[in-house]
Amino acid sequence: MSEYILDCKGVCKSFGGVHALQNVDLRVKRGEVHCLAGENGCGKSTIIKAISGFQPQDSGTIEFDGKVYQSLSPSVSIDQGIQVIYQDMSVFPNLTVQENLAINTVISNKQKIYNHRQQREIAKKVMATLGLDLDLDDLVETLPVASKQLIAIARALYAKAKFLILDEPTTALTRKEVERLFEIIRDLKAKGLSILFVSHKLDEMYEISDSITIMRSGQTVYTGPMATLSEEDFTHYMTGRDFSDVDNKHAEERIQRDTQPAIELNNLSGSGFAGVSFKVQPGEIVGITGQLGSGRSELCNTLFGIEKATGGTITCSGKQVTISSVEDATRNGIALVPEDRLTEGLFLPVSIMENITVVNFDKFTKGLTLDSPAQIAESADWVKEIHVKTDDHLLPVQTLSGGNQQKVVLAKWLSTKPKILILNGPTVGVDIGAKYDIYALLRDLAKQGLAVLVASDDLTEVSRLCDRTVVMRGGIMTGEIADQELTVENLTKAIM
Amino acid sequence: MNKKTKRLLGRNEFYVAAIIIVLALIIQVISGQFIAINNLVDLARAIIVNAIYALCGLLAFVSTGADVSFPMIAGMTTYIIFKVAEVTALPAFVLVAMALAIGALCGCINGFFIVKYHFNSLIVTLSTSAICYGIAFGALKGVRIDVPDAFKAFSKWNLFTVRSGITGLGAKMHGAILIMILLYVLAYLVLRHTMVGRSIYAIGGDEISARRAGIQVDKVRFGVFVVNGMIAVIGGLCYACMCKNCSPMEYYGGENIVIAAIVLGGVRLTGGHGTLLGCLLGTFLLSMVSNSLTLIGVSVYWQNVFIGLIIVIGASISAIQAKRSLKASKELGKEAA
Ligand SMILES: Nc1ncnc2c1ncn2[C@@H]1O[C@H](COP(=O)(O)OP(=O)(O)OP(=O)(O)O)[C@@H](O)[C@H]1O
Ligand SMILES: [Mg+2]
Repeated sequence: MSEYILDCKGVCKSFGGVHALQNVDLRVKRGEVHCLAGENGCGKSTIIKAISGFQPQDSGTIEFDGKVYQSLSPSVSIDQGIQVIYQDMSVFPNLTVQENLAINTVISNKQKIYNHRQQREIAKKVMATLGLDLDLDDLVETLPVASKQLIAIARALYAKAKFLILDEPTTALTRKEVERLFEIIRDLKAKGLSILFVSHKLDEMYEISDSITIMRSGQTVYTGPMATLSEEDFTHYMTGRDFSDVDNKHAEERIQRDTQPAIELNNLSGSGFAGVSFKVQPGEIVGITGQLGSGRSELCNTLFGIEKATGGTITCSGKQVTISSVEDATRNGIALVPEDRLTEGLFLPVSIMENITVVNFDKFTKGLTLDSPAQIAESADWVKEIHVKTDDHLLPVQTLSGGNQQKVVLAKWLSTKPKILILNGPTVGVDIGAKYDIYALLRDLAKQGLAVLVASDDLTEVSRLCDRTVVMRGGIMTGEIADQELTVENLTKAIM
Repeated sequence: MNKKTKRLLGRNEFYVAAIIIVLALIIQVISGQFIAINNLVDLARAIIVNAIYALCGLLAFVSTGADVSFPMIAGMTTYIIFKVAEVTALPAFVLVAMALAIGALCGCINGFFIVKYHFNSLIVTLSTSAICYGIAFGALKGVRIDVPDAFKAFSKWNLFTVRSGITGLGAKMHGAILIMILLYVLAYLVLRHTMVGRSIYAIGGDEISARRAGIQVDKVRFGVFVVNGMIAVIGGLCYACMCKNCSPMEYYGGENIVIAAIVLGGVRLTGGHGTLLGCLLGTFLLSMVSNSLTLIGVSVYWQNVFIGLIIVIGASISAIQAKRSLKASKELGKEAA
């Protein structure tokens, strides 16, 4: 028996002219947790889809558990003991929670008859694997993203696979849920399971993985043990660039201290938070940090007019304003990059170009017609500026990798040239290189006088990017942290 | 509000049932004849064929998308079979088997293009419908023909006759209603208690998730269209036998009211949603409206306006429900956060 459970050799895959995978080699030892890392769009999900048989490779071979396959199909792959938690979760929105939890098991049992009592029993057992507490009769389409992700994870864990693939499984989860998941992963590993794990969060990778493969532009560039890989080497392999200089914040050149604050909150309250007071100068980057449920998302939504404030005041550039609708917010120069981009920010089947320019339609309309060349030029600029990885920005957004879709949402809102830009979790699912690009871009915009508010629970991000941060806990603003004090350790203490 | 009530209020079936009851009361008050036994039997008889067609609509919309070919497949096949019966002396069961085979063949054509070439099902079934129309009228001169001897017995199959005590009017219940009931029972068992049935819903909910879970998406879709062809033919034969003659022209355009009825009953055009109960209720409501407006003495043209209005109301209920469930999910998200 070979030492490796999975051995992909020379795997290639193209979509039209895009070579998503070029001679990729990927080997996973039995009983290890193997991390697969790389920038957005480097082909991580694509190799996973080849292994799962959903999108077979064009050439190359996949050896699994001693058998060599030229191409796999989903049912063969599942029968061989491969379970995948897909990046987009792949649940059935129109079915109930219990059916979602049970249907994969019933399919892989090759049952012809569907027994509803059995379904309920399976569903209960599946929930127990993660200690979930969901209403079994709810339709999945009515659930929040986090629950969908938990359903996808639980159902794969229950399947008693030999090989478990997790494609960014933690994007919507709280720290507590991530810890529970990691506990289970370690447990499975102890039982001899092999695991392939994709994430953009460095701390997660170091925490859980034994070894790592790094991909760049559809090729394998590094493979080896995780523990001996330094953070610098990691970013270098991943991006081919070094990022030592971006940590310089240049705060003093940027912040316009002697003018009126771009936005000032005075004792603001709304649903889910109360008593928030702070101000942001033009050119300043201020964080709003706190755990899930601390009220930071609600605060963002209230500032953008999605939810109504119940008390307190908002002052924009010295003028007190009421923001009771998104139009009010836009009129006062406020833009929001929402947290749940996939459902709130993008039209997936429509081109990248139109997605970026849609909020600015007025600007491109001449009489009754659209000034397409101007629209295309603007979009091309943005695509270049924030490094959206695509051959052609006239392709639909859904052909982009997950992280690149997020960059498109960013570009869309940045293109409205707001005075106050609020970003809720701006780099969830975005790779390191792109993260630095986004940080640099935000600093650049701030330098031109933009006030930036960043709501995030990624403490490294807050400490690196922000000049100052507001800390929230349980819906209350508990204080501010600035300058030298703004470290990951202090933040960890503050938000707990 | 407790969760069960909330879920009930979130269903189209609930609203359609409520509208049926309210409407029945209004018509009863105005005409005094609605709850008359003969009227109820007439109504039940009137929904048989559309309720059978509604199964085609349900299966297609839930799994794939529109199917508009069922009336013309039914019309052409029935016509062909009646012609064959006129010139041969084949027994009824052979003729029915032939009819089912023709229906299945038409379904194969639909399924082949939809599955193999990923053509939009509306376009494919529209074409099939046009071809069937062409064959029925161009090649076979689709004129009205009487029920052939082989089907005479079925055509006259009367389950019972009722007579209203007040007006003295009578009504007969045709045996075809048993076929409809049988089809619904079968459909219920398949859709709810077999893997194939659950796959139909899973595919409609998210095709990619279904493929990834190992569901044979193409086979299931192909199967749905083949079965649709056969169900359509059954509906077509029932219709002709109940009318005691067959004229392909009468089948033409029959899909409109069926699709309207099932959408009213909660079938979503985007796939994955729809129930048998909803199909029956929707069909019943539309038949009831046209039947009962006649009772009150409203002209046929105004009846169409009423039907249009009801469809608009039904569609708005669906839209409002969908919006509400989206909102609920956002609120839940906040609670969880
Ligand atoms: N169906 C498709 N059609 C065209 N291009 C595609 C398709 N699927 C993937 N691609 C392209 O293949 C490349 C690899 O995409 P993939 O989804 O594997 O990236 P990824 O490494 O998973 O990125 P992320 O971290 O953002 O999820 C991207 O350039 C993407 O645009
Ligand atoms: Mg991916």
